[in-house]
Parts: sequence; C-alpha cells; structure tokens
Amino acid sequence: MGSQYGLKFAVHLVTNHFGKIVAKVCETLFRKGPLSLGEIIRCTELTPEQVKNSLLVLVQHNCVQAYVPADQFRDEEESTVTVEYLALFDNVIHRLRFPKFLEIAKRQLDDECEKVLDGLLRDGRLTLKQMVERAVQGKENPGAIEAVVRGSFHKLLKAHYVERCPAPEPVVSTLIKAEPAPRKRGSKMAKKFEAPETIEQRVMEAALPGEAIRFAVIEYTGGNADREANSDDTIMVNVGDNSGGIANEGSILWRANFEEFIRHLRHKLLIENERKRLDDGAATILSAILDATKNVEKKVKIEKSVPLSLDSIFTEVTKNEYGRTMTIDRVRASLVQLGCPQRNLDDSYSIDLKNIVEMARNEEVESIVLKRFGGDAYRIFRLLSKSNCFLETDKIAELAIVDKKEAPRLLYKLWKDNYLHMEKLVVTAAKQSRFMLWKVNKPVLWEYVLDEMYHAALNLSLRLAFEQEKDEDLLHVSRDKLTPTDKSGEVNSVQKRYLRLRDVLFLMGSSLMKLDDALMLFHDF
Amino acid sequence: MRKPVGSSKDMIDAERIVFNLIHSKQNMGIWVADIKRETTLPESMIKKSIKNLQTRGEIKEVVNIKNKSRKHYMAASFEPADEVTGGNWYSEGKLDKEYIYELRQACLRYISRSSVASRNGISEFIIKGGCFPGATTAEVDQILENLVLDDEIIEEKSTGYGDYENFPVGRVCYRCKSKGEVGAMASIPCGVCPRINLCSPDDFISPKNCELYQKWLNF
Repeated sequence: MGSQYGLKFAVHLVTNHFGKIVAKVCETLFRKGPLSLGEIIRCTELTPEQVKNSLLVLVQHNCVQAYVPADQFRDEEESTVTVEYLALFDNVIHRLRFPKFLEIAKRQLDDECEKVLDGLLRDGRLTLKQMVERAVQGKENPGAIEAVVRGSFHKLLKAHYVERCPAPEPVVSTLIKAEPAPRKRGSKMAKKFEAPETIEQRVMEAALPGEAIRFAVIEYTGGNADREANSDDTIMVNVGDNSGGIANEGSILWRANFEEFIRHLRHKLLIENERKRLDDGAATILSAILDATKNVEKKVKIEKSVPLSLDSIFTEVTKNEYGRTMTIDRVRASLVQLGCPQRNLDDSYSIDLKNIVEMARNEEVESIVLKRFGGDAYRIFRLLSKSNCFLETDKIAELAIVDKKEAPRLLYKLWKDNYLHMEKLVVTAAKQSRFMLWKVNKPVLWEYVLDEMYHAALNLSLRLAFEQEKDEDLLHVSRDKLTPTDKSGEVNSVQKRYLRLRDVLFLMGSSLMKLDDALMLFHDF
Repeated sequence: MRKPVGSSKDMIDAERIVFNLIHSKQNMGIWVADIKRETTLPESMIKKSIKNLQTRGEIKEVVNIKNKSRKHYMAASFEPADEVTGGNWYSEGKLDKEYIYELRQACLRYISRSSVASRNGISEFIIKGGCFPGATTAEVDQILENLVLDDEIIEEKSTGYGDYENFPVGRVCYRCKSKGEVGAMASIPCGVCPRINLCSPDDFISPKNCELYQKWLNF
C-alpha cells in the first residue's frame, strides 16, 4: 500500500481518468482496506448503483481486484458469500506511465503492436475478438487488418507484455499464520526474518493465472494466414469439450502485463547506470546477462541476477556487435567491475542488482541534498551515507573538512528535515560529556523521500492543470492565429501566451515523466 | 585563610602554580576560567601571573577552535593538539578555505591531465611540486577523500585494462567524474523547497500559488 501522498496522488489519477465518484470509491478502499459492497456504500454514502458502476469501472481497468475471504466459510451456517474489493495501488500509479509502456512496445516490437497495446491500456481489458473489432471499425480491407492485429497480439504475448486477466473472485485466506518460535536463541535453525505477506500480495497471487496458461493463446482454427501469424513458441491450448467451458477468443480477457514492462524499465535503468558509472563494455555484459535470464526471473525485484556460467555469459555477449570485440579476460574483468569478483560455488556468476539500485537511489537523494542544503551539507551527507554508521559531530567536521562551528548547524538542518537520524550519548567520566551522533538511516529515509516524490508528482499535476485552465480560452482560438506568421518574427500577445503555455506544458510534462522514473526507482525496482 | 595579594613572594608562588597547571595540560592547554577553578587563586593574581609568564615566553595564548572567544593558554614548549587548533586545515582558529581550495584544484588538474592517476602519483606531484610546502601525504589523502565525497572524482581499483593498463591490478586510482544529470526531484521546485511539509493543495502554501513554481515557469 502507498504512503500518505502516494495515496493522494493515486486518488488524483483516478479522479482525472474516471471522475470524482469512482475516485471516492477508490479512496475509501485505499484508506479502509478491502471492503464488501455494503461496506463501501455505507462509507461513501453513494447510491448502490453508483458504487457498483464505480467498482465495475475500477475492475475493468485493473485498479481493483475482487476476492472471497476464505475465513467466512468456517461458519457452516453462513449461506451467502461476501465478496470484498481490494484497491491496487501499484496498478493505479502505473496509469501514469502508459506512454512509456507504449514506447517500449513500439521500439522493441513495432507500430502495430503499439496500437494493439494502446487499445488494451485505454479499455483496461479486451478479448482478442474485441481487439480485432476495434481495429477494423470503419476501415476498408478488414481481413488484412485482422491478420495484422492477430500477429501483433501474438508478438505482445510472446514478449509477455500481454497476459490473461486474473480470476474474477478467487478465494483467499486472510489469516496470517504465526511462525513457530526458534527452539534456542541463536539457534542455527532460527529463520531469517521475512515480513508476512500482505493481503494484497495474497490476493494477487491467488488471482493470477498459473504460468502455464497466463501467456497461453487459444488455437485459432481460421484461415492459413492466421496460422502463419501464430508463433511456434507460443503455448497452444486445445479447444475442446473437456476444457470445462468453451475457451475462445470471444471470452478470454487479456490485459497489459504491467510486471513485464516494469521489469524492462528496471533492466534499462540497471544497464544505463552501469554504462555511466563504468563503460559500454560493462553495460553490454550486464545487458546480455539480463536478456538471457529475463524469462526465468521469479519476480521483478530480484536482488541478484540469475546465475550464469562464464561460457554462457560470453556466448550471450558475442551476440552483440560491440560484444564481439571482447575477449573472455575482458568479460571477466568487467564482471569484477560490476561487483562480481568471484564465481559462486557452482562456477556461475551473479551480479548484485540490488547494489546498483541502491547506488541509483543514493545519487537521487544526494542530488536533493545538494540542491536544498548546499555543498558542505552534501559532503557531510555523503560521508555519513558511505560510513553507514554513527559518527560524532567533531569527527564529521574533521573528515568532511567543514568548519567546526558550521557543522552542527548543517547537521541540525538535515536532521530537522528528516534526512539524518540523531542520537545523544552522555559519557560520565571525570566530568559529564554529551555527544551528538549522526547517521543516515537509508530504509527510513528512502520511504520518506518516496513520499516527498509522490507529493511533488501531485503538485506538478495540479499545477499543470492550473496552467491549462488559466489559458483555456486559447483552445477556442484557431490554430493559424496561434503561430507567428509574420516574417519579422514578432508575436502578438495571444501568440506569446500560446508559446508560453506550450513551453510550460512541455517542461512540466517531461518533468513528471522524469519524476516517475524516480518513483519507480524507489518503489518498483 | 586567603593569602594577602600583592607580595612578590606570593606572586612567584602564584606564577609557579599557574605555570605548573598550564604545563600539566600539555598540548591541550587550559581556559582561564578553568585555571581559576582548579587553583582557587584570586582572579587578579591569575591575570598578573599569566601576563608575566607570557612576557617571559614561558606560556602562549592559543585559539581554541571549539570556542574562539575564550582565552586559552599553553606552555610554550608544546604545539597545540588538533582538537585545539582544528587540525592542519585551520589557521589562527579559522578554516583555511583558500589553502584547501588551491590544494583541491591542484589535485583535480593533475587527475584531469592524466585521465587516471594513482594515489602515490598525486601525492608525489603535490609534495615534490613545491607549490604547497609542508603538505603531507595524509593531507593529500584527505583532500582526495573529500573530492570523492564531493563527487568530483571516483576512486577505483585498477583492472589492468583500458585506461588502467599502466597501473598494476588492484592499485587505488582516481579519475575525474563528469557532472551527472541533476536528479529528477532536484530538477523541480518541490525538490529544493524548504516548505514542502507545509504545502498542500488547498492550503496557504499550494502548487497553484507557489513562488518557486512561478519563478520556474517564468520564461
């Protein structure tokens, strides 16, 4: 679930896309957690019809998942099944980055795939039949267009950018199992602490189709052109009476697989960061490793890359033009630079991806510190961040070469704005001495910075809307009057306003997309 | 019973007591108020003793970096400790920013010219160069660490390949870092705003009336 401003920003996005009534239902689910239909009606004070329609819209657009809590079945007398609705924070925020997903489909596949994906993103979920109908509407030569749509759909499916929609109302146990206590303190049997699964994770896991059918396509028994469009690698499911229901292209719903797009964006960040930090060679090797193993990654936020032998890595690297110039020794040296100095026990290599993400997060936060607090504070912050331990005030001033009078003031400012953690130490010897100890607590700081970023994203969106409203009248001015035509280059006041508005919208739009990269860095990667 | 003030024998005794106390503090020295507290001598006698001892060159006044306004004294035979002076980077109680800046620039110029430079190479250049008499390896190391903290240079271990082919594998090297892009959050008004915690859509400070936004959008 999101932070305070994360939720506000998510509600803002829902309001912009679906209106205030739908946003009210979504906000209620965010604030109160999963609720039944009756509970939502009571909390929102909307009419049952309004709530039902809102839920239908939110489910259609994958912002809400319905499920049936299993614990209600313990009472055998209970005859009615209560469905609860869970708002999906991540999926709401993903709506901000639809243009990025479309760009990925366009670059990696082609324009036609982008169009098919666009339909899925706009409409939330579609059957293959609906995708075809959407494309051929009002067009000549529907047969050819249909073939293109099917071909594009298969490409998207093969790349895992499209998936089957989840089960509509899976049964989910909502009880959190108590972990058995370890037998002895320090016992080798003691488990590493893992946070219990959230209700959202349980519901999504239960709803998600099994891997075998998640990207499975139905065999189309139409013309030859369509058979050719089907990839040999796509898993085929036989249509037949033993399926327990007729699974055909008119009833299976498909949607964009956000997880795969986020994985792609994560890989892109990892590769580009290492390119900037090291060189093209290291980026090529990392790219080869991630490409080779993306289909076997169990989840997006893997900490280490899937282990590969040096031979496998080298084979992948040489598929690339730049990679063909590298020797095995060069590859080995780059693996050291990438933070993988030695092989695992089974002679495989694994890159610490979590470390690359952490370095990127550090850079983002340090950039804020530099701009907000200045150069000396930046140096102090980086010292504490790298030390990853408590340091005393005078020691900080000495190591960072900052005036000893200035250092306490800067440290206090950073602490007051939640960028540093502080503790007081009192030492009683010949006389009592007080020391102030300072530290960067990264997990806490990153959550705080993420919330600030959601706040900033909300502010950007609101200001963008405000600027558009201010110059709303320009929408009614004909286009030829908006652009300067005079050879002298002079512009009148309307044209000035238009040019300003154009520049403002471009600046804020691109800033929001850049800020969204940072949101993914701190939340999704 | 308090001794009468003023007799020459009393003064000699007082000076001896004050000097012994100051001397006992070695290179840390002592504040006048602490002399008064530890000796229980009258203030006027302490002041006169200090003046006489200073005139004879037996003690000296030093600036204590932690509290520059306090009068701090030390036996002349000791050099003040770093805790008192602030260390090599302080001169007369003030951070010698000009010296630090010049030393930083010299290191940066050397690294920039060399593309990649080893720690030993930089130290040798600075110390033997003659522009910074008295500079030590420890000082150069601290400047390099500060340049890393300022993200002006990167510290890496040589791989023996490419730019590092002239350096043995594992040797600590430095290279200049090109200025990276400003972070996403730092590029927008909210990133630098000291009032972001007070800002809210419907509040007194909001994105619609924000001065920082106004300046940012004022092309």
